[in-house]
Amino acid sequence: MTKKKIGTVWLGGCSGCHMSLLDIDERILDVARLADIVKCPIVDGKEFPKVDIALVEGSVTSDEHLHEILHIRKQAKLLVALGDCAVMTNVTGMRNYLQLNEVFDTAYVNAISNDQSGTVPNHPALLRLHDKVFPLQEVVNVDYVIPGCPPSADAIFYVLFEFLNDRVPDLNEVKKLKYG
Amino acid sequence: MNTIDIKINERSLKVLPGITILQACRDNGIDILTMCHLKGLSDVGACRLCLVEIEGINKLLSACTTRVASNMVIRTDTEKIKRYQRITTELFFAERNHVCSVCVANGNCELQELGYKVGMDHIRYPFLFPECKVDTSHQYFVMDHNRCIMCTRCVRACSEVEGAFNWDVKNRGFQVRVISDFDTPWGESITCTSCGKCLQACPTGALWSKDVVQGQLEKHPEMITELVEKRKLLLT
Ligand code: SF4
Ligand code: SF4
Ligand code: FES
Repeated sequence: MTKKKIGTVWLGGCSGCHMSLLDIDERILDVARLADIVKCPIVDGKEFPKVDIALVEGSVTSDEHLHEILHIRKQAKLLVALGDCAVMTNVTGMRNYLQLNEVFDTAYVNAISNDQSGTVPNHPALLRLHDKVFPLQEVVNVDYVIPGCPPSADAIFYVLFEFLNDRVPDLNEVKKLKYG
Repeated sequence: MNTIDIKINERSLKVLPGITILQACRDNGIDILTMCHLKGLSDVGACRLCLVEIEGINKLLSACTTRVASNMVIRTDTEKIKRYQRITTELFFAERNHVCSVCVANGNCELQELGYKVGMDHIRYPFLFPECKVDTSHQYFVMDHNRCIMCTRCVRACSEVEGAFNWDVKNRGFQVRVISDFDTPWGESITCTSCGKCLQACPTGALWSKDVVQGQLEKHPEMITELVEKRKLLLT
C-alpha cells in the first residue's frame, strides 16, 4: 500500500487545534506508518502541496486565508475542517457584528495595553483583514468536520486513522462530538 | 380509572385521557427530545423539538401541547422527525451568537447536549451574527441575549413559580427578545425578587450568576419541578 499524504495548516485560529493534534502522543507513530505529514505550519513556507488529507484549522479572516484555502481546496483530496473556528467561526467570528474599523480601534487605539500612539499596523507584508469572518464551508466545499475548541486528541486521531484505513469516520456514532 | 387506548411507535398503550402525548411518552419510557418543556411549568410549544407524527394529521404536532385522544396512532422516531430536530437545533445555533468555548455554560448546557443528541457536527445555515446586549445591571445576575434561544422557561418560572412577572417577551421572529419589566435594565426592575429561579430554569448560558466564570456554570432546572411538586403536597 502506498503511503498517503497529510498536510495541515492554520488560518484564523489560535493553533490550539494543532496542539491537540500533537496530543495524540505516541499514536503519531500509527499515523506515520500509514502516511507522511508533508506540510504543517512549523516546517517551512513552501506552497501547500498535493495531499490526500488536508487538516485545516481556523476560519477565513483575510485575503491571505482566502487565497490559501482556495489553493488547498485544489490540492487536497479530502479537506477536513478542524475545530470550531473552521467549522463555525467560533471566537474569530465574534467580531462579525462589528465594523472592521471598530475592531482595529479596539485592538490598537483604545486597548489599555497599547502604546497610546493609536497606529493601526499597515505594512504591505501583513495580511488584509476582511470585513467579516467566514467558516470554511462558506468559501469552499468541506468534506469532513471535526468540531471542538479544541477537538480532543482522541477525536482527531480517530478521524485520521479511519480515513487512512479507507473508512469513513462517524464522530457522532463514537460519541466524540464536542463544541467548545 | 378510565383509560384510553393509543399507539406510540407500534406499541399499544393504555393512558389516562387528557394527558399530553409528551406525558404519555415519558410515563412509558419513550424517549422524546424537549427544550422549552420543564416539568412543573405550563407548556407553550415554543421550541418545536418534541414534534410527533400522528396518523391522519398531515403536519407534525408538538407532543408537549397536544393531548392524547383515543385510538391515536403516534410516531416519535421517524426519519422526518429526526430531520426536523436536526434543522431546529442548527437554527438555534445559527440565530444568535453561540461561542461555546468562551461561554459560562460550556460543558453544562442543554443546547450543547441537544446538538450531540441530534448528531450535529456543523451548521448548514449562515450565521446571522445579530448584535445582542448583555445586561449586567442586576446586582447578582447576568442576562446574555447572545445565548438565549427563546424557550421562555425563565418567563414562566418567574410568573408561575415565583409570581414576580419580571420577565416578558417583546417583538417577533428574528427581533424577539426577553425583557425585564417594560424593557428596562434588569437592575432597575421593581418586580424582580432576586430569587434566581429564572437562572435555574434557563437551559443555556443566557442567564447566570455573576459569581461563575467560563465553563463553571451549574444549573438545576429540576429544582423548579421539585418546588412545584412540594407546593402541591402542601396544598393537599
Ligand atoms: S449557551 Fe450553550 S450552546 Fe450556546 S454558547 Fe453557551 S454552551 Fe454553547
Ligand atoms: S433566557 Fe434562558 S430560559 Fe429565558 S428564554 Fe432565553 S434561553 Fe430560555
Ligand atoms: S418541548 Fe414541546 S415544543 Fe418545546
